[in-house]
Amino acid sequence: MKTTIQHIAFIALLVISVFTGCKKDKDEVVIPPPPANESEVMTTFKLTFTDSAGAVPIANAQFRDPDGDGGNTAIQFDTIKLFANKTYIVNTLILDETQNPVDTISKEIQEEANDHLFFYTPATINATITILDQDTHIPSLPLGLQTKWKTMTASDGTVHIVLRHQPGIKDGTYAPGETDIDLTFQVKIE
Amino acid sequence: MVRYFRGHQPYSNLFPLYCVEINQTILSYSSCKMKKAFFLLIVIIFSFAGIGDAQCTYTISGKVTDNHDHLPLEYAEIYVHEIKTGALTDSLGNYTIGGLCNGNYTLQCRHLGCEDITLLVTVNGNTIQNFYPEHHLHELSLIDIVAERGTEKTTQSSYEMRGKELDETRGSSLGEALKNVTGVAAMQTGSGISKPVIHGLHSNRILILNNGIRQEGQQWGSEHAPEIDPFIANNLTVLKGANSVRYGSDAIAGVILVEPGKLRDSAGIGGELNLVGNSNGRGGAVSGMLEQNFKKISPLSWRLQGTLKKSGTVAAPRYYLKNTGLEEYNFSAAAGWKKKNYGAEIFYSQFNTNIGILSAAHIGNVTDLLNAIARTEPLEKGEFTYDIKRPYQHIEHELFKAKAYMFTGDAGKLSVVYARQYNLRNEYDKHQPLNDSLAGLNRPELQFEITSHSVDMLWEHSTVKRFTGTIGVSGMTQGNTYEGRYFIPNYRIYTGGVYGIERWTKNKLQLEAGVRYDYRHLQVFKYENNIIVSPVYEYQNTSGTVGAIYRFNKNITSNINIGTAWRAPAVNELYSDGIHHGTATYEIGNRELKPEKAVNSIASIQYNNHDKWIVEMSAYYNTFRNFIYLQPVLPPTVTIHGSFPTLHYTQVNARFMGIDAQVNYYIIPQLMLTGKASVLRAYNKTIDDYLIQMPPDRFQGELTYNFKSIKKLKDSYVSIAGIVVNKQFRVPANSDYAVPPPAYTLLNLEAGTTFYFKKQPLTVGIGGTNLLNTVYRDYMNRFRYYADEMGRNITLRLKVSI
Repeated sequence: MKTTIQHIAFIALLVISVFTGCKKDKDEVVIPPPPANESEVMTTFKLTFTDSAGAVPIANAQFRDPDGDGGNTAIQFDTIKLFANKTYIVNTLILDETQNPVDTISKEIQEEANDHLFFYTPATINATITILDQDTHIPSLPLGLQTKWKTMTASDGTVHIVLRHQPGIKDGTYAPGETDIDLTFQVKIE
Repeated sequence: MVRYFRGHQPYSNLFPLYCVEINQTILSYSSCKMKKAFFLLIVIIFSFAGIGDAQCTYTISGKVTDNHDHLPLEYAEIYVHEIKTGALTDSLGNYTIGGLCNGNYTLQCRHLGCEDITLLVTVNGNTIQNFYPEHHLHELSLIDIVAERGTEKTTQSSYEMRGKELDETRGSSLGEALKNVTGVAAMQTGSGISKPVIHGLHSNRILILNNGIRQEGQQWGSEHAPEIDPFIANNLTVLKGANSVRYGSDAIAGVILVEPGKLRDSAGIGGELNLVGNSNGRGGAVSGMLEQNFKKISPLSWRLQGTLKKSGTVAAPRYYLKNTGLEEYNFSAAAGWKKKNYGAEIFYSQFNTNIGILSAAHIGNVTDLLNAIARTEPLEKGEFTYDIKRPYQHIEHELFKAKAYMFTGDAGKLSVVYARQYNLRNEYDKHQPLNDSLAGLNRPELQFEITSHSVDMLWEHSTVKRFTGTIGVSGMTQGNTYEGRYFIPNYRIYTGGVYGIERWTKNKLQLEAGVRYDYRHLQVFKYENNIIVSPVYEYQNTSGTVGAIYRFNKNITSNINIGTAWRAPAVNELYSDGIHHGTATYEIGNRELKPEKAVNSIASIQYNNHDKWIVEMSAYYNTFRNFIYLQPVLPPTVTIHGSFPTLHYTQVNARFMGIDAQVNYYIIPQLMLTGKASVLRAYNKTIDDYLIQMPPDRFQGELTYNFKSIKKLKDSYVSIAGIVVNKQFRVPANSDYAVPPPAYTLLNLEAGTTFYFKKQPLTVGIGGTNLLNTVYRDYMNRFRYYADEMGRNITLRLKVSI
């Protein structure tokens, strides 16, 4: 009967070693697969300014870092140039240019409006910025992919734009969640 | 389930009596799946509980004298296998072991330089058994002992943790377990990740030997804890100081030996079951071990061991630390074949864990970090749960080892060890991609896989004209691949080393010297502008060590060691390029880094008057050339997520000096006062400033009362400890986002006892850490910016051995 124990123990050992056989070595060390496009990066932030009265032409301002964080630094970081005493409707577009075709991240932000909130903070410029679009919370909370910029007298300064990612914790304030985008554009109102 | 056995037969004859019941147990489980194997093991262990005899109060005592000159032998170890208890002989060669029943016991007598003696002794009342070992200084047994114990008496400062002290750490991680050793600190990332720091250095500067094998995991990251189940070990040893000659490059700051017990060599079945419960996190661990040596096939032994661990959200004194759950499932299996002149052993272990990362610590950029620091409490607090959500880490580590040894006539012993290790690290970010199809895949954002194969061959030669020594060669190849976000590239490493250490012993003096040559070949494979580049890096170095141990008299011993050590830059130091989300920094590697080299001096002195005082003090002085560290540089890295302070890997000259001290004072024989101190001063000589991220001074006072054994209660004790960790004042100005946290004091309590149910020991321990629920933050915790440390925790531990 003692041998029965031994047999059982031995079989247990054997079964364990068979079931858990070593994981295969990775042999792609030498030729790694090309950098995968699985991860999502934000490379481009674009503001399109449309004069609500149609009096001045459409203006654009962009931040572009086509290879994403690190590597090469940003190749474009425009100064926003606006006319005084105008009202602009501004659309925000966010792209992932590492993807082919280019992925429009702002579309996904729109889909997840309830988890995102933009903040636009002007400094030393004579302008006010208000958020136009709302999420689907009840009552609804602002989102910020569409904004209204009201310029006044000519001035120089900055606008600080922050996208807060607040999954399940969005309450209309800044604090919850973490920062997905944080850019400070130079602004010139003439 | 099984009634105790009353009889006077060796243990190996016990089993036929119980087979029927055990088989039933097994049969009832036989339909279960593999996952149940572990529980089966526990059931088997339980079914043996209660073996014993009613009268277990007898002693066995005697005298150990040299067979030739009949002089008493001091420090001979007498060990009773069945009750796993031993005693050392005193200066007159006398020993006494209590708690024995009438019956047969296997006694082993060991003495340095003597052949082991194993005897079957029949205890009938208080029994006397003398031993007369033969001195074999010119034969193999000395080498045998040295080799099998693994921990040689080195000229460095070392600390061995076993028995009661190790039991007190059961259930905690390796990094946590070693925290109480002087000179060792724990570098934490939240409550779940902890890695050991020796004399201010960690990660790639410490070698961990898991069952004799160099742990090849992802040691480079400060949030990468050692992938080891501490339950495997019945002995944890810390060798402080450079050990490059014996263990290879990287052992600049020290070596940690995680050693399982030897496979059983007397016929029979043995086992151990550990149960641990924690109040904070409402967690628990179950670990079981079963081993056997066959009576009919006496060279053959095996062992199975497994651990399950689970813990929920941990609480700081004022709030829950959201997403700090943890789970772990590990097992190992070993089998050995041992003959007089040769032997072989195979070992396989697996370590798997999922560790939740504190939600509040995942931040977007520096502004988020500064806001988090400004808050007194994290915004996300959450509630208790066992669920582990993003962000979390999933880690697997596999070790397969095969070892063979043979005695090469009278000349020595030759051993060959092959090992394969596989390490998988998946890191899941807090957020999944916005794109639903990507998110649906639920892939880790970072994945590293490292596979290593190593071969070590060593020959330990017998004593020739007072010399003993070891020569060895070792080689390794390692491949790393990554998927997901780039942080370090793919690489292939080949290393080779050859070394020799000789030791000369005469009377009170032991001298030691060794030399080693290492070669390292590293090739990196990486896409740059869509083209694979594969630069090669070659490093080589010769290291040396000299040391001495001198025993002034029976009370005072001192050691001194001077060694050189080196470390080639790790791949992350050469090639990392990315954002570290826990610290909101942008780390950039430096491809021009040279190997760092250290000269390490350590001197220690032990005083033991065999009455009231045991004092151990060591002082160290280490200098580094080309010490690699992360230096903040301007300008910050601008990304769409905001700006991040840029940190570059840089080399400087550095100096580490410090003192580790431990004093035990017996106020009365039962009452012991212990004082411990670890003091370190680390300095960047190149810029004349302090080095960042160094453990602050730590002091510990402990009062332990050991109760006299009464009938069925043995080794009972209660101890209370106060730990004072000073504020780290010695940091470079403006080098950190927040000033180092203030000093703190913690109160801990430990109590334990061993019940004997018949002959069956059941060890019970209860421990309390941070009893006063002190609110504090620790400088060595990377999450000190975000949240307080864990609050009060009460731990209950049970251990049953058969």
